[in-house]
Amino acid sequence: MMEGRSAMESPVTRLPTRRRTKSYGRSCFEASSRFAYTSGQLTILRIPTTREAPRARNIAERVDPEQVTLLIKNEWKLSYVTPLYRFRHTHLKKYSKHLSAFIAAEKQQGTAVEVGLETGYRVTFSTVLGIAETDEDAETVFIQIQSKPMFAATGDALKVVWSGWLTCVNGSPEYLHSLLPDFVSLPLFCSSGPENITVVVKSWFEKMFDCRFGSLGLDSTSLQWLCALWTGCHPDNNIRYLRLLWTLPTQPPLDVSYTVNPQDAWELWNSVRQEDSVDGTVGIDEVKHFMAGLESHFFRHFKIYLSSGTLRKVSTALGSAQQDGKVKILCSDYLATVLTLLTECAILKMPI
Amino acid sequence: CLTSTQLVENEEQFQKKLADVIVNAEKDVSVGVRLARRLPLPVENEETRPCIDLVVFIINLSFERSFQSVELSLKYVDPGFFLGKVCFLVTGARCWSVSSDRLQSVRKLATSLRCPLLYAEDQTVEGVNTAAARLLRVLKVTAGLTPWATGLSLSTLTRCTLSSDLEGDFD
Repeated sequence: MMEGRSAMESPVTRLPTRRRTKSYGRSCFEASSRFAYTSGQLTILRIPTTREAPRARNIAERVDPEQVTLLIKNEWKLSYVTPLYRFRHTHLKKYSKHLSAFIAAEKQQGTAVEVGLETGYRVTFSTVLGIAETDEDAETVFIQIQSKPMFAATGDALKVVWSGWLTCVNGSPEYLHSLLPDFVSLPLFCSSGPENITVVVKSWFEKMFDCRFGSLGLDSTSLQWLCALWTGCHPDNNIRYLRLLWTLPTQPPLDVSYTVNPQDAWELWNSVRQEDSVDGTVGIDEVKHFMAGLESHFFRHFKIYLSSGTLRKVSTALGSAQQDGKVKILCSDYLATVLTLLTECAILKMPI
Repeated sequence: CLTSTQLVENEEQFQKKLADVIVNAEKDVSVGVRLARRLPLPVENEETRPCIDLVVFIINLSFERSFQSVELSLKYVDPGFFLGKVCFLVTGARCWSVSSDRLQSVRKLATSLRCPLLYAEDQTVEGVNTAAARLLRVLKVTAGLTPWATGLSLSTLTRCTLSSDLEGDFD
C-alpha cells in the first residue's frame, strides 16, 4: 500500500517548530490542541482540546434533503477505513455494477449472503455533496443495496436491505496532506443492515482499493464531548433528556442508567462555561467539569463513584452514541459537529 | 535481608496477583509486600509497620477513578520518597476503549514528580510475572541490595519524560 518512505514524509517534520510563548493564566492563549500518535505510531495528529460549539445549521441549504433523510434516524455501526487507492468519484456507476456482480458471485459460492427469494441485488453508489466541510475532505459516498425479487413487476418499489456511507468531515489537514497522490481518504465508514452483507461489501472494498477496515469504538472522552456538545444545544433544540449509561465492574456487573432533566443539564453546563471562554468554542476542561458535576451529584445521592466504571452510552433527543461504535443522529442540524468528531476518532485509529 | 514494598491500587485486583508472585519469586531476600487501596494508611498499626523501601501506585487506565484515587493518595506521601522510592505502574494502556488523554495525564503526573512509569499487562500470567520481576529489580535497588546503584540514581535514569514533540508547552 504505502511505501516505506512515506513514513519519512509524514507530518512529524512539517509541524511548526515555533514554540508558543508561555503566558500567565489567560485561557484564550492556551494551546487549542494537543498531539497524539495514530495507532500505527507513524503519524502525529493534532487532537483539538477546544471545539466549535455546535450551531444549528439548516443542513438543507447545503445538502439535498432527500439524502439527509437517508443519513439521519438510522442506527449506524462505525468502522475506520485506511485510504483508498485509486478511488474515483466519477466511476461510481462502474463500482455499482461491480459490487452487484460481486455479491451475486459470493452468493453463488454460498459463502456470505443468505439464500432467499431475492435473486439479485441492485447496488447504487451516489455522492452526497455538501457534507464535506473543507477543500481537503473528499466527497461523501453513499451506498445502497436493494433486493430485486425474482418475479417483481417493473413498477414495484425495491426494498432497501443495506445502506452504508464513507465520509470525511474536517479531516486533520496534516494527515490528509501526508497521503500519496493516488489515495483518497474517507476514513469513516457507517453501515446499517445485516452483518453478512457488510462483510461482503467490506471485502469488495478491500479487494478493489487495497484498503483495510477495522471496527471503530468511541472512547470515554469522545462520548463526553458528545454529551457536553449536545447539552449545549438545548436552548436552540430541546434535547428532551440526557441519558447516560454506565457499567460498573462489580460482581455481577452493575448497569446504571442516569437520566438528567434537560433544563438541569443545561443549567449545569452553563455554570461550567467559563466567563472568559471565547464565544463559540468549547474546551475539554469545561467538558471534564461538566461530567465531574454530573458524577458528584450521583455520588451525593447514591454513594457510588461513576468514574470507577465505564461510560457506555450517551443519548439525547438529538442523537445517541455507544462505546461499541453505534451512532444514531436524529437531528440534522448538528451533523457536521458529530461527523467531525467521528472522523477524528477514525483517523486516530489508522494503523499507519 | 529484609525489604518491604507498598502497593497502592484502588481496584485491589492486580495488586493481589502481583503480591503473590513477588513473594514467591525471591528466595534469598525476604520481601514484604503490603497492600492498600489508598493512602494515608490507617493510624492504628503505625508502630508495627516496617520501613517501606518502595511505594508502587497502580493505575488502571480503564477507570478514571483509579487515577483520581492515586492523585489524592500522593498528598500523603512523604516528600523524601520521591527521590527514587515511588514508582507508577499502569495497566490497560493498550485497550482500545481507553482514550489517549488519560495516559497522557498519567505521564504528565509521573514526569512532574520525576518518577519512573512502568507499563504492565495484568490479564495474562506472563504479564503478571514480568511486572513482578521488574518491580523486584527496582525494589532490590531501592532497598540498597545492589552495590552499584541507589534508588535515586536508578530513578534518574528510568524516570518518565514527555517528548518535546508531543508536549510543546511543557516546560
